[in-house]
Amino acid sequence: MTNAVWVPPTWDEVVREHADRVYRLAYRLSGNRADAEDLTQETFVRVFKSLAEYTPGTFEGWLHRITTNLFLDMVRRRQRIRFDALPDDAGDRLASHTSGPEQAYAERNLDPEVQDALDALPADFRAAVVLCDLEGLSYEEIAATLGIKVGTVRSRIHRGRVLLREALAHRAPGVRPVEPGVITAEATL
Amino acid sequence: MNLPAQHLSDEAVAAFADGALTEGARARAARHVADCAECAHAVAVQREAVWALRAAPAPALPGDLLERLRAVPSTTPLNGQPIAIDPDGSAVFPAFGTAAVAEPSDERAEMSHRRARPYGLLTAAAAVIALGAVGGAVVSTSDAGSGAPFAPGTPPVRVQPAGGSSADLIVQPASGTAIFARAGR
Repeated sequence: MTNAVWVPPTWDEVVREHADRVYRLAYRLSGNRADAEDLTQETFVRVFKSLAEYTPGTFEGWLHRITTNLFLDMVRRRQRIRFDALPDDAGDRLASHTSGPEQAYAERNLDPEVQDALDALPADFRAAVVLCDLEGLSYEEIAATLGIKVGTVRSRIHRGRVLLREALAHRAPGVRPVEPGVITAEATL
Repeated sequence: MNLPAQHLSDEAVAAFADGALTEGARARAARHVADCAECAHAVAVQREAVWALRAAPAPALPGDLLERLRAVPSTTPLNGQPIAIDPDGSAVFPAFGTAAVAEPSDERAEMSHRRARPYGLLTAAAAVIALGAVGGAVVSTSDAGSGAPFAPGTPPVRVQPAGGSSADLIVQPASGTAIFARAGR
């Protein structure tokens, strides 16, 4: 690629090329449409505001980093809210962020049980698993995205998948049931 | 990675399932997994989780969200910083309320430190001309070195009016909205 012939994309082109991927990641991380839309919108606002600060690297990696960190910030913020003394109407406001089961099912194209299993994972595990298995990032890219060591990435992915597999064991067609006792019984570590 | 003939660590199980081990470690892990039902099961669990995830269809982008994203340049307040420099000699400047233009100066040093550019106030009509000239000069002083916001091959963004064709300048006179200009190369 040479600068002489290279034409930078327009904003419209950036949106059209990346919006699907950002929304998909945001949805898989947050597990509901309202949060996914908020995360996607905020990601593109951040991108737009920070174009001058964009440092060399892939545009996709930058988007992953922004989206994932916005999600983790959102989770931490809500955890803090829950720990703090809640005003009387806080429960209603928090509840408004999540959908009822029927609404959630209706708005999801994603398999609801898979998404439920994802949602049940701790946010840090979920982020690692989603980035690896659904977004196809390498361990090194995930480590850079989350600001953690590669070994930590591997262990979070391992644990996250084990939990996912257990959550889906009761129904997933073509997937053998997990028998947690077997591993423990045969372990010779 | 040194993998003894003992059971695989959790991390190695994940990496083996993903084909992410180095060749030597992969071969040792494969020999172990072939003889160890427990580790083979652990690897299978990893792969089954991946298959279950990947078999799930992806959520579709809502159409109204796409429109909101396309409108971000016209709905996002900026702080007066330049938002992009193209390595090919075009630049994008935001401003508020009144058209603004960067003075020709040592832009490379300023950009690398992300300091505010000096702005001169112009009418919108004058800005079209001035930005074409000054913006080109600005970029011509800046190579694609390490201090530049965009290195060679990285994608800066040319801002165009939402739904517009190829105008180089967006003027939205309402206070607090952004004005963008793209300088010619």
